[in-house]
Amino acid sequence: MEIAYYPGCSLHASSQLYDIQCKLVFRNLGMELKEIEDWNCCGATAASKTDDFLAIALPARNLGLAAATGLPEIIIPCSSCYSRTLISQKTLAADPALKDAINAELGHKIEGSIKVSSILEALLAKVKSGELAKQAVKKLEGLKPACYYGCLLTRFPIDVAVPDDVENPQGMETVCEALGAEPVDWNYKTDCCGASSSISDAEQSLLLMSRILRDAVDRGANCIVATCPLCQFNVDAYQDQVGKRYGIKKRLPVYFITELIGLSMGIDPLEMQVDRHIVDAMGLLKELKLI
Amino acid sequence: MSSSVLQYEAAVSQPLVEEVMKRSGQNLVACYQCRRCAAGCPVGEEAGVTPDQLIRMILLGDREAAVNNLLVWKCVACYTCGTRCPNNIQTARITETLKQMGKKAHAAPLLPRVADFHSSFMAATGHFGRFNEIEGMAIYETKTAVKELLKGKLKAVIDEVIGQLKLGAEMTKKKRMHVGLDRIKNRSEIKALYKKAKNR
Repeated sequence: MEIAYYPGCSLHASSQLYDIQCKLVFRNLGMELKEIEDWNCCGATAASKTDDFLAIALPARNLGLAAATGLPEIIIPCSSCYSRTLISQKTLAADPALKDAINAELGHKIEGSIKVSSILEALLAKVKSGELAKQAVKKLEGLKPACYYGCLLTRFPIDVAVPDDVENPQGMETVCEALGAEPVDWNYKTDCCGASSSISDAEQSLLLMSRILRDAVDRGANCIVATCPLCQFNVDAYQDQVGKRYGIKKRLPVYFITELIGLSMGIDPLEMQVDRHIVDAMGLLKELKLI
Repeated sequence: MSSSVLQYEAAVSQPLVEEVMKRSGQNLVACYQCRRCAAGCPVGEEAGVTPDQLIRMILLGDREAAVNNLLVWKCVACYTCGTRCPNNIQTARITETLKQMGKKAHAAPLLPRVADFHSSFMAATGHFGRFNEIEGMAIYETKTAVKELLKGKLKAVIDEVIGQLKLGAEMTKKKRMHVGLDRIKNRSEIKALYKKAKNR
């Protein structure tokens, strides 16, 4: 079965490994991810901070391209892209004048009906149908992830029906438990890592990440798992700096959820490029005899 | 806001309140200062202003304080304030609105790096239709370095360059550095949308 797919800029650059993993994992689950043709950047937080029109119009062009595929659903792995695309779709459904203004510039017009899914929603559907259990044969015993959702999977600036508890979501835990891992209960799963402020307001971002890392360590997690490439990159690439600044000795690998699923499916970690993390992510898997 | 007695004049407040409400779409007169937003705001303490205080500034018609405060610049758009607000007010949308109003009024950004990052991101995206990390970062680093050098902040520039080189080296080692430039075919559509945005 084919499903439309929007990788977003990050998955074509520093988080290319996540793009590879998404395709591998969904293929094993019987879904071919069909990347929409000629997609553009969603504008992320920068557009919403600077220009209300572009914040809606940039993802709208992608919705037009997605509609042109004729497929009923689109998967968006990056939380920021997912959030911006869903906001654009819902805003335009309620604002026909804005929709007309944007459509006037587009070859592929926006047609509002495609289902916009986060990667987590798509994976949870596979847990529910039992398809994940059939493929995920190796149990990830000894892996104790702190499931890190960040901001944009559960919080929106407009009314969106979130299919999980917004303060204490359980979706990622459900997936991890289906793989035989033992996710820890912790406090900072929906806290902000600072996103791009790691570049532009670094002190603030390091402080936010220190709270996340400290609680994950204190709760006995031996790794962090994320679905958002921006969260993953921040908590991975800046972890050493955060640890040194705030006196946290332990370093935790920050896995993409696709890496844990792939591992459980028996996909070679090197094919998934698990060796491309900044905080070593292979050592723990060897230590736990998972590879 | 420094006075202990709140000054309120409807004629002063009304234009600001109406402007922010219209642009942000947020019903900020519904705020009854319960401060659930303040309790959840991850940057309120460092900003020295919490979302409830920002709303109060607007309701009191203090345009200068509302546009020029660190919360507007430090807000990470995590949407915690709005998710917890019993009256469904998204203060993150208000910080976005105030930032845009400040820009329109040619107010200098309190945190120039934040402004530069967002404008660099939008410039890079407008250029090729996709955000290329290497291009966006090059624009951003150049913008900030020029500004800081003009202010004589040589050490800040050196620290920034060293920090970025370290991160770049680590990323290169782990093959996370992407040097190619992604571009879309139909860039004219992106240009048309940017043009429309400018003219609105």
